[in-house]
Amino acid sequence: MDLTSRLRQLLPQASSAVPAPKKSVDLDPLLGGTEVETPLGPCYLVTKQLPLAHRHGNWPLSEVYKSAYTHLARFAPGGGDRLNLERALFLDTETTGLAGGTGTYAFLVGLGYFTPDSFVVKQVLMRDYNEELALLHVVDQELGAKDAVISFNGRTFDLPLLQTRFALARLGFQGASGKVHYDLLPMSRRLWKYKLSSCSLNSLEEHLLGVQRSGDIPGYEIPQRYFDFLHTGQGRLLQDIVEHNFLDIVSMASLLFRIQTVLELEPSQCHCPYEAEALARLALQNRAPSLALDYLHRASELAREDELYLRILRQQAALLKRTGQHGKAAVLWKEILSLSASDLSSAEELAKYYEHRAKDLQAARQITKRALALAWAERSPLVPALEHRLNRIEGKLRRQAAEF
Amino acid sequence: MWALSVEATLKKLESNPRFMANITFRHTIEAQEGVFEPIPEFVHPELRALLLSRGIVQLYSHQAAALKAVQSGEDLVVVTPTASGKTLCYNLPVLQTLLEDEEARALYLFPTKALAQDQVAELMAWSDELGGRVKTYTYDGDTPGDARIAIRAAGSIVVTNPDMLHSGILPHHTKWMRLFENLKYVVIDELHIYRGVFGSHVANVLRRLDRICRFYGADPLYICTSATIANPKEHGETLLGRPVTVIDQNGAPRGRKDIFFYNPPVVNKPLGIRRSSLLEAESIAREFISQKIPTIVFARSRLDTEVLVTYLRKAFHKLGEPQETIRAYRGGYLPKQRRQIERDLRDGKVLGVVSTNALELGIDIGTLQAAVLTGYPGTIASTWQQLGRAGRSHEPSLAVLVATSSPLNQFMIQNPAYFMERGVEYARINPNNLFILVSHLKCAAFELPFREGEKFGELDPTEILDYLVEAMILRKVEGRWYWMSENYPAAHISLRSASTENFAIIDTTEGRTQVIGEVDRFSAPMLIHEGAIYIHESRTYHIDHLDWEGQKAYAREVETDYYTDANLDVELKVLDVSAKEELAHVRRSWGEVMVTAKTHMYKKIKFYTHENIGWGQISLPEQEMHTTAYWFSVPKDFAGNLDQGALQSALLGASHLLGNIASLELMCEPSDLGVAAQVKSPFTGEPTVFIYEKYPGGVGFSEQLFAAHGRLLWRAMSIIKSCPCASGCPSCVGPAEEVGVNSKEHTLWLLKGALGNGPDQQAAPASAPGK
Repeated sequence: MDLTSRLRQLLPQASSAVPAPKKSVDLDPLLGGTEVETPLGPCYLVTKQLPLAHRHGNWPLSEVYKSAYTHLARFAPGGGDRLNLERALFLDTETTGLAGGTGTYAFLVGLGYFTPDSFVVKQVLMRDYNEELALLHVVDQELGAKDAVISFNGRTFDLPLLQTRFALARLGFQGASGKVHYDLLPMSRRLWKYKLSSCSLNSLEEHLLGVQRSGDIPGYEIPQRYFDFLHTGQGRLLQDIVEHNFLDIVSMASLLFRIQTVLELEPSQCHCPYEAEALARLALQNRAPSLALDYLHRASELAREDELYLRILRQQAALLKRTGQHGKAAVLWKEILSLSASDLSSAEELAKYYEHRAKDLQAARQITKRALALAWAERSPLVPALEHRLNRIEGKLRRQAAEF
Repeated sequence: MWALSVEATLKKLESNPRFMANITFRHTIEAQEGVFEPIPEFVHPELRALLLSRGIVQLYSHQAAALKAVQSGEDLVVVTPTASGKTLCYNLPVLQTLLEDEEARALYLFPTKALAQDQVAELMAWSDELGGRVKTYTYDGDTPGDARIAIRAAGSIVVTNPDMLHSGILPHHTKWMRLFENLKYVVIDELHIYRGVFGSHVANVLRRLDRICRFYGADPLYICTSATIANPKEHGETLLGRPVTVIDQNGAPRGRKDIFFYNPPVVNKPLGIRRSSLLEAESIAREFISQKIPTIVFARSRLDTEVLVTYLRKAFHKLGEPQETIRAYRGGYLPKQRRQIERDLRDGKVLGVVSTNALELGIDIGTLQAAVLTGYPGTIASTWQQLGRAGRSHEPSLAVLVATSSPLNQFMIQNPAYFMERGVEYARINPNNLFILVSHLKCAAFELPFREGEKFGELDPTEILDYLVEAMILRKVEGRWYWMSENYPAAHISLRSASTENFAIIDTTEGRTQVIGEVDRFSAPMLIHEGAIYIHESRTYHIDHLDWEGQKAYAREVETDYYTDANLDVELKVLDVSAKEELAHVRRSWGEVMVTAKTHMYKKIKFYTHENIGWGQISLPEQEMHTTAYWFSVPKDFAGNLDQGALQSALLGASHLLGNIASLELMCEPSDLGVAAQVKSPFTGEPTVFIYEKYPGGVGFSEQLFAAHGRLLWRAMSIIKSCPCASGCPSCVGPAEEVGVNSKEHTLWLLKGALGNGPDQQAAPASAPGK
């Protein structure tokens, strides 16, 4: 057998149709862009300008542009107190796969930024592999003109991937280095992970931004769609991808604004228990426990579902205990037990409270017994400690009785 | 103290008639003085001081030679036995360079994680004394994420294994830019391990490494070490794809070593059944350990390892010794467990260790004084390595090889001259095995686009790359081939076995959910089918459920008095004939085949008595493999002289025996080959015996067997003739219950006939058995 026949036997392939050589196609009517010439050859650029009056979901872009971005410092190392939106670049890549490594290419890079009268989205496309250097050149230039990058999941995906592409080019691209990076995905998770079952951009758009996409291409279809374009040269295959990437960029701008508005809320201004709860956690991380308590209190007022309400009560009680407000904490532990009779840790906390704080040994004995029964039932490792506690309480009770 | 005890034990053995009666061969390697040379002038003063602080005032001659060769820019392979100070041969030049140039980097490749771990411990100590300037890190599957970033930026010496280089480093080479831009040395330890399929893969990984180095403008020197093999230069050059200098004059001293070949006594002569090698090895090891001689026992399989540990622990438990005195060591253990065992061995908390061949590699356990090998390890080089595991220092040591009843074992134990004179094996690889080559060309194209005219090793890959374009895996634009797939190709290619996916074994006893071990996909149907007894740390677990899709087995700890053993049924279909020849009474061929393997049933075997106490069914998907095979068939009219039953038993006997001696002929692992016998092959239409390679595409063994056909058959016949059994036994044609009652006679008839009624004298080797 000759080599090719052996290859055919050993590695059978679904299709052996050699793709027709691609004719140079005119993408302009389909994508509305134009070929750009760079020192590293040509690539393709689609530029769109949205007037600030343009409404994307619930807000016009002018609102996004006007807002001050002041609470984001903790989310972006080295970012300082304030994000200057005019110096920031929204970035989103479409790639030939999710695996990473040097064989995954970013074939389309979407870049968005505000000017005083519009939101500009530039989408850089390589129409084939030989246009990658030109694409990177354009991206490098745009990045170089800004101080900050805003992405959705860029910290683990888009930026490392671009860094890999830049490094592989070995042309000393520097645009991506030294940028402050605001990744909206971890921020969104901090605020809404309990509220939403998924923090994907689509889910955030639907539930928080008022954006409905129709006919959007699912992300997992994108690599194959691009390969199909390479084989056939049919520009319409790219239309959905370019539109998808465009919407991602614009949604990021809306999402940034939405995050900022939540971060600014005072406890009394909160209308969503999940957001109040999330703000409490952030306040706690900022070492502001009394502010955190205010947010939790607000959250407990807003909470409708039992699971959420209980979770908030537990956090409240724990924080009250930590800040020395044992009596208030005890009220909450009792409330938790009235709602969830089998809550072992609240029972244990109450036992400690009655024994050491309230010094009510009868109540302490009663609740410890209850805790022990729960611990037995769930085979908890707390059993020996509780048994010990019960013995001690009963010892104290006997001594008290003897004293009388 | 140990030395006394070894000599006393030796005397005891020599005066034990029951032991000596079973010794077929005895060999003493006398102690040898060292050959020394002064530390060369050019050695960095700090390094010299470091050597002095360790009491090293001069070098062994091979160490000095290595240092000089590296100094003059030669790629080299150092071939000396275990415990000869091999590591200094690469550590000295590497440290020398790192002291001169802080930016310089070195990449160390070890075949196993355990070995890498051991090396780093030693290098760390050196580094500390050099003021922490030389930063050494291991990079393997166990390295945590944050540590990886530090290693990429600052590791002067990165210690890893070929698998990690293949799947973790090369596909992400831009993250390792600092390493590649400054790479001065690639150190490859235990070069001889990279043979067969594994070696063929590694040769391609090195071709890829070479491409990446060129991309970053690096041209590192290669320093390799190897245990004794017959062809270190050829092997090194094939593996590295470049000329190498070989240094093989060992200057290290060594202690006296006494080697015994032990053949378990025949307990049933008509059936040719010998006492179990496992039980014999256990009693010999027990004798050594009870004399407080630190002993290593090598077993041939995981199962044997566990069985031996169970037996030895029980024996010592009766004597009041703690369980930990005896430990198992095998590949299926999780990394942390393995490291602990290695430490305990070095610290002397463990006196007996039972291992599969994981320890055959050079992990430094200086205290071992005796080695017991359960069964011939499959190759002469491996045997020497395992025999050499004990007695690394100057003191005397003991080693006993206990034969099993397999034909290969019996041949070796009864023909020690062959063992001593034939010399060690050739390490053979076939980097151009099409299946392997294509796999790595994909990885290489993923790593960097191929340029027109670019070579891969010495090969022109154009035709294959164009095929991959046709398969829509690559895309060619303006003279370059680019990766055009969502896949990460290295993830689907395992260097060590045909499948990458391991099955996890989860202990569910009393509501636990703890992973206790792993089994590769190919072994899963045999080891962790539902109803299997899985043995781990000498505890027995019953496999309650096997989730084939999810690659998980759920196990529950149970008390049993039996273990399980599953059978593999193989079907084989010929796809293409590469060569064939018709002789008078036999046709031989080799070519491409499709092998389908399925396990249907398992046996329950009682501990200690090893009797069969039941069986169960296994219903798991079959596994397919496209590979190469050698086969021969006898004409129907000739075969017609035997009735159906006799023919069947002749074919089974011949395939059993030929499968065993084929590995001897090829000097490969017996487990690299499989056999199949067909009374009426759908392809040849005749009674046919197949020997196939257990790797997709094969690595060239089939062609070699085709060429050696006459010699193979002739040797098979002479083994049958010299076997003392009555009508067939495990040492020749196989046990009667598997191959039929008169298989010996039938097989002999078949072989004689196939050889044209007489031995093919021309093909008979000079050192033929029985002469």
